[in-house]
Amino acid sequence: MSTFTFATASYESGDWDSAPLVPPNIIDTIARYTSIDVAPTGIVVPLGSPDLPRYPLVFLTGHLPVRFTAAEREQVKRLVDRGGMLFVDDHNHDIDGAFHKTATEEIRRTIGPLAELPNDDPLYSAFFDFPDGPPNTGHELNGWGDNLLHKHLLTVRREGRIAVLYSNKDYSSEWGYHPDNKRFLAVDNTRFAVNIVVYALTR
Amino acid sequence: MSARERVARTRAVLGATAVVASLVRGAAVAALVLVVAGALDWALGIERSARVAIVPAALAAGALVSVVSLWRARRALRLGAVALWIEERIPTLRFALVTAMEPRAAGVALPELERAVSNVRWRAPVAATALRAIGLPALLLGAAVGVRAVLPPGVVSRIEAPRVGDSLESPRAAAASGASRLSPLVATITPPAYTRRKPTTLEEPATIAALASSGVRLEGPGRGAGMRASLGGEALEVTGTSGRWSVIFAMPARPAVVRLGDGARSRVIVLEPLPDSAPSVTLTSPARDTVMRDARGVVKMAAGASDDFGLTAVWFEYIVSSGEGESFKFRSGTAARRAVRGGSSTASLESALRLDSLALRPGDVVHLRAVAVDGNTATGPDTGVSETRVLRVARAGEYDSIAVEGAPPPDADASALSQRMLIQLAEELERRRPRLERRVVIEESRRIGTDQARLRRRVGDIIFERLGNSESGEESSGTSPRAAMTPEELLRAANAATAGESAHALDFEGDETPVVALNRPLLEAYNAMWAAGRELETGEPDDALPHMRVALAAIMRARDAERLYLRGRAPAVVVDLAKVRLAGKIDSASARGRTPRARLSSSSATRAARLDAALLLLPSNPSAALDSLVLLRVAALADAPRLAADIGAAVESLRAGKDASAPLLRARRTAAGAPVTRTNAGEWGGAW
Repeated sequence: MSTFTFATASYESGDWDSAPLVPPNIIDTIARYTSIDVAPTGIVVPLGSPDLPRYPLVFLTGHLPVRFTAAEREQVKRLVDRGGMLFVDDHNHDIDGAFHKTATEEIRRTIGPLAELPNDDPLYSAFFDFPDGPPNTGHELNGWGDNLLHKHLLTVRREGRIAVLYSNKDYSSEWGYHPDNKRFLAVDNTRFAVNIVVYALTR
Repeated sequence: MSARERVARTRAVLGATAVVASLVRGAAVAALVLVVAGALDWALGIERSARVAIVPAALAAGALVSVVSLWRARRALRLGAVALWIEERIPTLRFALVTAMEPRAAGVALPELERAVSNVRWRAPVAATALRAIGLPALLLGAAVGVRAVLPPGVVSRIEAPRVGDSLESPRAAAASGASRLSPLVATITPPAYTRRKPTTLEEPATIAALASSGVRLEGPGRGAGMRASLGGEALEVTGTSGRWSVIFAMPARPAVVRLGDGARSRVIVLEPLPDSAPSVTLTSPARDTVMRDARGVVKMAAGASDDFGLTAVWFEYIVSSGEGESFKFRSGTAARRAVRGGSSTASLESALRLDSLALRPGDVVHLRAVAVDGNTATGPDTGVSETRVLRVARAGEYDSIAVEGAPPPDADASALSQRMLIQLAEELERRRPRLERRVVIEESRRIGTDQARLRRRVGDIIFERLGNSESGEESSGTSPRAAMTPEELLRAANAATAGESAHALDFEGDETPVVALNRPLLEAYNAMWAAGRELETGEPDDALPHMRVALAAIMRARDAERLYLRGRAPAVVVDLAKVRLAGKIDSASARGRTPRARLSSSSATRAARLDAALLLLPSNPSAALDSLVLLRVAALADAPRLAADIGAAVESLRAGKDASAPLLRARRTAAGAPVTRTNAGEWGGAW
């Protein structure tokens, strides 16, 4: 059985490395709740690399505008066409911000338009149950960004499965802490990441 | 007039007669060829590829006849021959004319010969000859023209001006009783106006490939009564005029099938939409990303754009990102925007970006790209963009050798609803208001008002905080002169205090409580929240919304205050998997047991199965198999164009009655895909 490696995409136009603690935190979460064979460290893969489709789940975040190069656009298309999943999170959680506007434009241009993901989608029951849809974060109403509670995630589907999962909820900030600090939390706020990974590996 | 002169004149007349006669003969032959061809086309039908050659052939035959006729009449060019010709017809001349034509031979007898010739007239034989030479061909020509006049108009045009789509003009195409009205079939495709392309016509199309939104008109012989037509399951109207039926529709955006029906007969036509490509844009300058120490100078910008049909506008676009950590601001703009005149398919753009005009600071990032828009008015203009160049201004300490680790970020306070959320709630209540009881509206409005008041108090805490005393302005003691002031008075006082130079120290002025961190937008927000709260308390969310929006706008302006958010560089974290494996608490979570999902069927496997089914059907029911292949082709157009092309070739062969083995074999191999390599043989099942 092959090992799941959490891949973070590096792209040329912005600050792709704005959430360096998210990968180890998600890896820690996967190990805590599942028996999935996961690599202890994540990997950074250039978005324009031909190796991109080797990873079933690719994480992309940032604050700055996202502008795909021709190579990045081609590889993202390959990733999606081959059944991979791209998880994009707006680290600004600002629908008026440049990241959201440019990233959604690039996704629309490369793969297709984003649509709301219904809150009863199988993603929300892929491992843990989230009957109300995507869990809210403590950053959505922190006074920065758009100060909105986003009720839905956005998605582009391929043959009925989620190919692109887009979040305005700033999971990059919510999950951007050292995994050892989980012990101080009453409820582990990274459990939704397990659903995302399990969905990407099993759908 | 001497004999010579008379013969010369006769030669001129005979020469003209020969020329006219040859022309008339040539015209008669050409006309006869056309008439005969028309009659054959009327009776038997001639393919357009052959009809195209009829007019040139007729002209060639006529020219040949004219040339041969002229050649045969060449003797009329020589005076001696003309004189002999006259002698043959006027025997009484007894060669006097011929002799008179040779003065040296005539010698002294020339005057007598001239006298003998001058008394003889040969006009009548010349006229008779001319009449014979021209009359008969003229009669033939007239007969041919007459026959042409009585031929049906469609026949004449099919012969004289053959074109694609003239099969309907043939009288044979008119549907006799019981004959199929599905053939001949003519399709006229009119591209969208913005393409400036002329309509095209197809005969007997099995597939129509055209731009999406092109107008398509299908025509056939006979009236439309009783005909059926559908596109993608939706019925189309069949109209009939001038002995033809027609169906009009627009080319859809996705491959589809048009079904035509006439009684028990049916016909399927594949619609293959061609996309209008977005413009292709190339940014040639700046050629690469850049990091600058100083944001000064000019950046030269150059780009080229091209489109398949025509461009309407091109420009440069930039986004300036300022900030760091978790706080960023963005500014965007365009430069050198211009319209492309005349819908040209190519355009170039040059400009210069003055960095001083962008007010860049260390750490700022400029994203620059070129944009072009085409003139697609059918499905909406398409936008093409170039690669993006990133120009970054180096931070002040970027080149320092000392790294400073900052403190972790403070916790975020998310206890209160934001003003934007309150506006959303109020708008939602206002939308539901017609369906709610007044009592419920008041209750919910007051609930929102409570949250609005809570937010107003938080804003008030920020505005009225004293130095060293965090007492809220709203709950301060009565001894403070500020406690007696209404919010409006506070706002006026604050406005007065901040009028003019903001550099003045604002604290410790007399006995007045200083307004620390005075922020006029926040005061404006505070005031607007008071007004909104009053309206919400009375159950009038619609009256509260304008004040709430004013408050939000003021808060947005206040957010421009600079924030420092220190964050150190996180060390690389390696997860100790052995330590944390299955250590998570799932007793409070509902980890649902999962059942395996059915494996998704591969599209290619589905297509291969459909192709196999169609091939099995071919021997027993060829028409059904043909329809299956056509529908499979439509399904494959978007995802498997090569398979679609192979199936298309097979369909064409089958429809033409040719051997389709080769194209079917190619399609089968394309559908099956590349050979799969297995590293081990499967288990033997015990049977051969």
